[in-house]
Amino acid sequence: MSWAQAILLARGASRGWGGICSTALTGAPFSQVPPQAPRGLRCSAAAHNPDSSLVPHPPEPPRRPVKALAVHEELFRPALDGARNKANFVRAVQNFTEYNVHKRGHVDFIYLALRKMREYGVERDLSVYNLLLDIFPKEVFRPRNIFHSIFLHYPRQQECGIAVLEQMENHGVMPNKETEFLLLQIFGRKSYPMLKLVRMKLWFTRFKNINPFPVPRDLPQDPVDLASLALRHMEPDLSARVTTYQMPLLKDSPDAMDPTETHIVGIQSPEQQSALARHDPARPIFVEGPFSLWLRDKCVYYHILRADLLPPEEREVEEIPEEWNIYYPMQLDLAYGRSSWDDYEFNIDEVEEGPVFAICVAGAHDQATLAKWIQGLQETNPALARIPVVFRLSGSSGELLPSSSELEEPPPPPPEGQEEDDSQQRQQQGQS
Amino acid sequence: MVLTEATRVFWKEAFPFPEVSRDELNEINQFLGPVEKFFTEEVDSRKIDQEGKIPDETLEKLKSLGLFGMQVPEEYGGLGLSNTMYARLAEVIGLDASIAVTLAAHQSIGLKGIILAGSKEQKARYLPRLASGEHVAAFCLTEPASGSDAASIRTRATLSADKSHYVLNGSKVWVTNGGLANVFTVFAKTEVVDSDGSVKDKITAFIVERDFGGVTNGKAEDKMGIRGSNTCEVHFENTRVPVENVLGEVGGGFKVAVNILNSGRFSMGSVVAGMLKKLIGGNDRRVRLHEETVQQEPQDSGRRQACPRLGAPGPRLTLRLGGPGCPCSRSVLTVLTLQEKFALMAQKAYVIESMAYLTAAMLDAPGFPDCSIEAAMVKVFSSEGAWTCVSEALQILGGLGYMRDYPYERLLRDSRILLIFEGTNEILRMYIALTGLQHAGRILTARVKELKRGNVTTIMETVGQRLRDSLGRTVDLGLTGKLGVVHPSLADGAHKLEENVYYFGRSVETLLLRFGKTIVEEQLVLKRVANVLINLYGMTAVLSRASRSIRLGLRAHDHEVLLANIFCSEAYHQNLFILSQLDKHSPENLDDMVKKVSQQILEKRAYICTHPLDRTS
Repeated sequence: MSWAQAILLARGASRGWGGICSTALTGAPFSQVPPQAPRGLRCSAAAHNPDSSLVPHPPEPPRRPVKALAVHEELFRPALDGARNKANFVRAVQNFTEYNVHKRGHVDFIYLALRKMREYGVERDLSVYNLLLDIFPKEVFRPRNIFHSIFLHYPRQQECGIAVLEQMENHGVMPNKETEFLLLQIFGRKSYPMLKLVRMKLWFTRFKNINPFPVPRDLPQDPVDLASLALRHMEPDLSARVTTYQMPLLKDSPDAMDPTETHIVGIQSPEQQSALARHDPARPIFVEGPFSLWLRDKCVYYHILRADLLPPEEREVEEIPEEWNIYYPMQLDLAYGRSSWDDYEFNIDEVEEGPVFAICVAGAHDQATLAKWIQGLQETNPALARIPVVFRLSGSSGELLPSSSELEEPPPPPPEGQEEDDSQQRQQQGQS
Repeated sequence: MVLTEATRVFWKEAFPFPEVSRDELNEINQFLGPVEKFFTEEVDSRKIDQEGKIPDETLEKLKSLGLFGMQVPEEYGGLGLSNTMYARLAEVIGLDASIAVTLAAHQSIGLKGIILAGSKEQKARYLPRLASGEHVAAFCLTEPASGSDAASIRTRATLSADKSHYVLNGSKVWVTNGGLANVFTVFAKTEVVDSDGSVKDKITAFIVERDFGGVTNGKAEDKMGIRGSNTCEVHFENTRVPVENVLGEVGGGFKVAVNILNSGRFSMGSVVAGMLKKLIGGNDRRVRLHEETVQQEPQDSGRRQACPRLGAPGPRLTLRLGGPGCPCSRSVLTVLTLQEKFALMAQKAYVIESMAYLTAAMLDAPGFPDCSIEAAMVKVFSSEGAWTCVSEALQILGGLGYMRDYPYERLLRDSRILLIFEGTNEILRMYIALTGLQHAGRILTARVKELKRGNVTTIMETVGQRLRDSLGRTVDLGLTGKLGVVHPSLADGAHKLEENVYYFGRSVETLLLRFGKTIVEEQLVLKRVANVLINLYGMTAVLSRASRSIRLGLRAHDHEVLLANIFCSEAYHQNLFILSQLDKHSPENLDDMVKKVSQQILEKRAYICTHPLDRTS
């Protein structure tokens, strides 16, 4: 049980949600871990005010439960200036190596440091990872003979090395030559961390650009920028124009919470614009949403302006008139068409959908805000003034509702007390 | 084969190479003298290019020579030249691109509408003054929002309440002569009541005078080449056009436009031929004598002193290179890779000339024959030939050719427009292929239908034919032999042409069978069909002309035979390659890959590949 908890801790610290289902996780057989309660999935349901918005906000990273201080925790006490940055992190690590010449408890320290990296904002810094690996004593854990390398040599240390690499992997940090050299010095070539490194080097390069629609690593903090990024991400037409219909009020202004004053950002391509101009005013168009779009760890909710598909009998077949092209005939006056042996069309059942005329991302999802968007759209689409617009706003986006999400969650973590007992037990095991 | 039969019918026209009578020739030569003298002595192309304007006195002289009414019938005060004579004259006019374009915009498209579709009154009213050059004509079709599709024309003409005139509103872009012209052929949308009573927008052509009021033009465009010609926007604002000035029928403007454009193209061939011949060093005695006198004039600039022949004003390469006192010359002339370029230029000039005059003669044949495909083929081939040849000529001179002191860069800039105007070459290739396929499709309809229905005899026939072909049959369509029209010394080229024609016919049949009328969408296929057709037409013209030269014993006909054979061989192999590309599943055909690449690029609107120095770690 204890090793599973250990991994759970290491992972849980590195990714907000991850590691929840890691009861199925397998790994090295034993481990020593300081007492700490694992963080279950905790939703901020209490903090959420269902009236303020129709949809939930993207889940906040779960709060850290109050837990017993870990060994070496004092090294990470906030500095005098209170800043949590790379320099302070590096100083903490250096303090450990300086005062601990024998490197006693270095595995615990590394696990702790891994957990702290996110707080210090260094979780994507390769040099910091190398610094952590550098804490390991060199040459001690290298297998001396074939039996060493067959049977896991110094399992707990190797486990810890893997945890460092794992955290690098989760943050997309590619190991470099120095990492390799360190691992070689610490664990030797025939070790599990080395194996992981080799695999990382192989697969990272292949997976790095696998997403044809890349999302920037650092998402903009400004909601307007984030919204326009999301809109660009959804709209395939590069000539589409992003318009900010309303800027949000400044945060410190007294009525910042007023939902009517949030940002409204929309996108529309010229093609959509002309399609809207051609739309039959007798048929209503709909504002639908909110739908969710995930950009890395942020969720953006958007609305679309769409129409129903025309029934087949009312569709106008666009004819190319005979006198269309001055230079060459657009049609051949022949009685026969394409032969079947030159027909490469696959038999695909396509579900036709009605046209989408525009997309918007707004801070609030109520009708008043969206009506402002439609008003803004009218400036560039005069035809919109004649078309009835129906708001079909669903109460939920079908995504991650806090009240219902609890049903889908894994069973809640055991109560704190039991947890503590467990970890104490574990510690005793480790020390024994 | 049905298609080869059709080709034979065509060859009846093309062989023997058409001639003009002695009298006609004398007449042309008589007329040509002063024009040629004027162009070589008085027209300063460099100055025209630099100042971006043709001097007024030059224009006056052109008018007095009658060059503004070359094809206007004599009864209306024009010269009434036949197409052949017009082509001959165009060779000389082509020595200055700006003047050639100005004149062509005036009479090939500007006033052509009045000749083709005008009523008697319209002709009597406008043609005399246009022919004399008192009025200049311009052709207004293209609009900011419309390319080749007539449907998107925005200019609108509304009939006034008393039905006496139309009110014209709209603007046109890229109107050549737009700043000089007094008479415009304008295409605008009008409301036309259809036979079934519905109101439709249709295009109507109008003759608009500047004096009608409301006609303004923008400032002259700054162009890459043909800088002496005037191109600008023309705006019409509530211009009142009398009903009598409708050209052709109301709503019949589309046909008028198509006819004007189709008839205006053939002259580009002879213009290019004249330019290329001049580039190589024309064999006209008078030109040579003249140029030698020019070269004896003292030169001022330092480099010209060092290399006097290079400073001569004319673009003639051979004179420049071989002459004494030109240190750069001897080595250049012994380099084979440079010599080869002269052969290329001669070959192109020869083919273009042959095609141009064959087409002109076919147009002159009685009964208003439709030679629009041929004209388009001449336009495509000659414009591309001009571009390659001028570029090669510049290459021969190396760095000197790049200098503005020499005319080559100007020629290069000027010749670039040839591939673009009067229908871009891409569009004309579509036209050539589609019109040709339409014709072939009509001939083949019965056969294709039987094949599609699975008529056993037709299928067996076809299969048997293919089998015989695959066993290597020689194609003989009767160009050579005892009663043949091609001279035996060109038999090799003729056989190649026959073989190409035969297999091309087969390919066309297969294509129609495969695609039917949806071939309109297969633009890459159409492009290839057009390329083969152009080559075949060139081969026909060249063989016909060279045969005539041998038979008549014209001077240096052995040289012609060489050129003809070179071209036939080259075109033959090109055709074979293209025909193999047209086959289904052929390894030469890379269309699918090419399509994918271009689609991906257009989707991203950027060059997609990462930098060669990029890494992932």
